[in-house]
Order: sequence, then C-alpha cells, then structure tokens
Amino acid sequence: MEPKPLEIDNLELSFTTPYGEVKAVRGVSLTLEPGEILVLAGESGCGKSVLCKSVLKLLPRYARIKSGSIRLCGRDITHASEAEMTKIRGTEAAMVFQNPLTTLMPSMTIGAQIREALRRRHLTPEEEEAESIRLLESVGITEARQRLSQLPLAFSGGMRQRCALAIALAAQPKVLLADEPTTALDGTIQIQILDRLKKLRDERGLSILLVTHDLGVAAHIADRVGILYAGRLVEIGTAEEIFYDPRHPYTWGLLSSLPAAARGKRLTPIDGMPPDLLAPPPGDAFASRNPYAIAIDYEKQPPLFDVSSTHKAATWLLDPRAPKITPPESARIEPFDSTKS
Amino acid sequence: MTKGVLGRQIVKNLLVFLVAMFILSFAVFFIASYAPGDPLQSFYGERVEQMSAEEHEAARHRLGLDGPVYVQYGHWLANAATGDFGLSFKYKEPAIDVIQAFIGNTLLLGGVSYLLVFLLATVLALCCAMYEGTKIDRAIAHVGTILYYLPGFWIGLVLLLIFNVNLGWLPGSGAYSPGHAGDILDRLEHIILPVIVMIIGHLWYYTYMIRNKLVEEARQDYVLLAKTKGLTRMQVAVRHCLKNTAPTIVSIMAISVNHILGGTYVVEAVFSYPGLGKLAIDSAKYHDYNLLMLIVLLTGAFIIFSGLLAQTINAWIDPRLKVKGGGTSWTIRQLFGR
Repeated sequence: MEPKPLEIDNLELSFTTPYGEVKAVRGVSLTLEPGEILVLAGESGCGKSVLCKSVLKLLPRYARIKSGSIRLCGRDITHASEAEMTKIRGTEAAMVFQNPLTTLMPSMTIGAQIREALRRRHLTPEEEEAESIRLLESVGITEARQRLSQLPLAFSGGMRQRCALAIALAAQPKVLLADEPTTALDGTIQIQILDRLKKLRDERGLSILLVTHDLGVAAHIADRVGILYAGRLVEIGTAEEIFYDPRHPYTWGLLSSLPAAARGKRLTPIDGMPPDLLAPPPGDAFASRNPYAIAIDYEKQPPLFDVSSTHKAATWLLDPRAPKITPPESARIEPFDSTKS
Repeated sequence: MTKGVLGRQIVKNLLVFLVAMFILSFAVFFIASYAPGDPLQSFYGERVEQMSAEEHEAARHRLGLDGPVYVQYGHWLANAATGDFGLSFKYKEPAIDVIQAFIGNTLLLGGVSYLLVFLLATVLALCCAMYEGTKIDRAIAHVGTILYYLPGFWIGLVLLLIFNVNLGWLPGSGAYSPGHAGDILDRLEHIILPVIVMIIGHLWYYTYMIRNKLVEEARQDYVLLAKTKGLTRMQVAVRHCLKNTAPTIVSIMAISVNHILGGTYVVEAVFSYPGLGKLAIDSAKYHDYNLLMLIVLLTGAFIIFSGLLAQTINAWIDPRLKVKGGGTSWTIRQLFGR
C-alpha cells in the first residue's frame, strides 16, 4: 500500500517559555489522504499554525515535540535533524504562509527566487528558465517571462501569494501545507487562490493541508474538515458532515457565528475566551464556554467518538448515556448553493 | 537613472563637500591659532630666544603669522585654493611633501585593519545569528565584550612585551626595517601587531551591530519561505539575510571610517609607527599649523568622501533604494540601464 502523504499520530508539542510550558498541541492525530484537501479550522491560538509548521520543523528552537509522531510520505520525521529536514523541505512537502506582502525576499527578483528552489532538480539554465515561466503560468501569472526579472515590490498581494505558491511548488512536493494562505487577501482574490489550489490538486495529485480560521474558506475548498480547539482535534469529518451534521458544541458555536448561517438574524457569538494553555483545565477544554456542558465535561477529557466511518467528534454528548441534545437552530446551514457564492 | 539626475547628484554632493571642508578648515585654524605656544619655536628652535624684536617680526611675517587671525586664515585659504599648503615649520619642507612620506603607512595600517575588522565582524556576526541564544552566541559575546573594554594602548604594550621583547618574533616599532622600504612583506610584518590591536579594539562593536541586524532579519517572514525551499541554514543566512543586511553593513562601514582612522592614531603612538596620526600629534605639539591643517583637511575629505561612496554603493546593492527615489520601473535591467 502506498504510504499516506502525511500521518500525525497523537502529537504533543510544547513551547518552553519563562512562564512555564505552553501546551500548544495536545494529542492530535490525523491522516492526509493522497490528493485530498484537508482543512484545519479553529480560532486564534488553537494550535493550527503550530501543527502546520511542525510538519516541516519550522518552529523556533523552544518548541519541542513531547510525544507522538509525524510521518511524511511514509518516513518518520519526528526527530529528524535540520540536515535531514533540508532534504525533505521542498521535495516532499512545501509550505505557503499567511502574509503575502512579507513572504518573498524583498531584494531578489522573482526569477532568482524560483531558480533557488529549482536548483534541487538539476536542470540546465534554459530548462530552469522554461520551468520558471511554466510555474508562474501554472499559478495564474501572465506575461511570466517579463515578470521573472522583477522584484517582489512590483507585485500586488494576491500576485505575491501566487509567486510564493510557484516557489513552493518548484521542487515538486507531494504535500502542500498552507498556513492561512488567503487571510490577508480580499474576497475575490481569496476565491481565485483557492480555486488555483483545487486545480493544482486535480492536475498534480497534490495533497493539501490548509489551515484557516475562516469556515467560508473551508466550505469552498475542503474535502474534509478538522476543527481544532485549545490544541486538540475536537471534530473531524467530510465537509458535508461538518457543515450539515456537526456534533461538537464548539462546531455548533462556530457555525452559529457565521454570517452565512445567521441570514438576517443577529450573529450568535461564542461567549468567553479560549483556555490558557500554560495550565489547560482538566476535562473538556471547551466546557466552561459550552452551554450544553454536562458534569463529566469538567472532569474527564472526552475521547473521539465515531459518528460514522469518516466522522469523529470529541464530546461526551455522543456517549450513549448522555442526554440527547439537538443542535441549535442557529447552527443549521442550508445546503450549499454554488451558484450564489 | 537618467544622466541629468546623476549630474545634479554629483553637483549637490560636491557643494556639500566644499562647504563642509570650508567649515572644518575655519574651525581648526582658529582653534590652533589661539592655542598657547609659539610656532616660531618649532621653526627656529633655540635661536628664537636670541632674536631681536625686529627679527622676530620679520620672521613672523615671512611665515605668514603676523596680523589678526582672520587675515592669516585669508592668506592660508587663498594659497590653499591654488594648491599651496605652505611650509611645515618643523620639517622646513612643503607640508605636502612631508605628508607624502607618512600617508602611505597610515593607509596600509588603516586599510588592512578596516577590511579585517569588517570581514571578521561579518563572519562572527553570522556565527552568532545562526546560533542565536546558544552557547556559541553567548561565548562570542562574552569574549568580545571583554576584549572591547580593554584599553588599546595596554593591549599594545602587552603584545609588544610578549612578541617583541620576550619572543622576538615580530618587530616592535617603525614601518619597515632599515633598507627594506620597498619590501611589502617586511612592511606587513611591521603592521601585524598594530593591526591586532586595532582588531581587538573595534571588532566586537561592529560584530554586535551586524549580529543584531541579522537576528532581526532572521525573524522576517521570507526566511520561512526560503527554508521551505530546502535551503540550508547557511544558505538562508548568507544569501537572504546577509544580502538584505548589506546596506546596513555598508552604512556602518562608512560612518566607522573616522572611528578606525582615530584608532590608528593611538596605535601609531604606541608602536612608534610613522603615520599620519603620529604626524598629527607632533604637528599639534610643535604648532606646525600648515601641516596640521593639511592633515585635518585630508582626513576630513576622506571621511566625507567615504560617506558619499557608501550612499552610492547602497543604491547599487539594494535596488529598492533607487526605486523609492521616484523611479517608475522595477526591473534590475532598467534600473542599471543595461
């Protein structure tokens, strides 16, 4: 059997700070299937970016994997050295980042930046040039030949993100990690970039792990969606399951606070703040903000209950002994109408 | 950049240069003139005391030392404008000729120290920045700080004691051995100890500045994308971070010219090295105004010129600096007119 592009097993990751140990990722397991787009969503500080960066070991020195493992294309990289990671980065997995305005090296032409990444493929200078142009065109940049000799400041935000995408794809990675790639862009450009990612998946069989706080982005692009809260995966399932049949109260809360779900009514925000990860509470971290919390939520962490073969959620409400609760009306979303978006 | 803009730039820089030189010469001339002591003493030596009042006046007149100070300055300025910087009172030769014998020595000592200081500072700063917060970084910082605070003349004396007096490996004074004036290896042997003192005194200061700049640069977002490409830590540090820090390093190098030049003056005194610094101190001591003025002007011209040069180099390293100046096009080819 072909190895999965990315397998994360029970990963625990902490930051050592002067105030103590911040438990940023607390036992997350997930698998990225070949050619799949998996979106991880959650609010700020839930550990989604950290999880994404830990795959390529781009975290600062004070971040430490405490237990669990990360397997990239079948290879265990949990304790890989910097030298090993250098070989893996770009060729096995590459990444695009949040802020397109600062993600490119400012005093180097786009062509030179792409060539740096292409060097891994040992092409002749002519092939490099042709490949650079092809890459830029594949991410939707026109007049690519002239563009090669320009500096990043000649490009708009959306175009810079496309260039970053071209650079990330230059060494033909199998996995693309995208850390809020569209957050800093306006709506129209967001859709263009997301569609481009979908197209790249279709054409190259790229597997994509995308991190976002925007459920709209998830709805547009995801095959599967994972919801993160306070460093834990609280619910994961196909896009349909998460949007039309959510099971975790936190997912209900997120959906209720979407303008698309409110449709003319007032938005329903989630009260309170996420917990302090220096000292996470016992039990379910969401319990104190959860209007449906039951006594055990404050004492014991819920396991991931299977809802279907693809759908899992970590809430005690799924225990056979728990009271039956129907999701709030505000979290109900009409079936997605693609002609309207 | 068009020819017209370049021409305007040159004229502007030239004007700045001339005004600065005028102010500098004016200030030094007046300060020197009002300093206590008699320049006649250095010209005539003991004989001054046996001169009659008339002879005294005549001698002053010959040397252009009579009349109010502003008149003296006027004479000096008029002559200097035609390239005549007057006689050195002490050496009794045209000041220009005196300087020619010394300036090469200082340029060699200062130039070698300058290049080595910045080469080593950049390398050490890269080491520190790449291993930021680790033992390597901290060790370099501790040793550097201690060396930086040791007084230069004391290090000079200690080095002299060890390598010249006790071990006898290296010469302890002068710029070359007698009869070896044209021997570059012999000259280099003579500057080893002075250069070491210069490096010890200046290295950490610049390492620290460059290190901090590099550390700041390493936190930029583009570093993450560069790493994602699979560049090694060294490649990211040199090709990306160092390249973006280069304009800062060049600026630091430009403003440090006077710092390092000043350093050579002290070192020249310790090692009895016949350079401009030693000459400047002597000329001030002997009220050798013409010589002093020439040295000050040369030093000043050198420092102002290096500042202007740094500006030009910066625009060349970082094309963005030019674009900000009102350019419309962003390709490197168009920026450099190629």
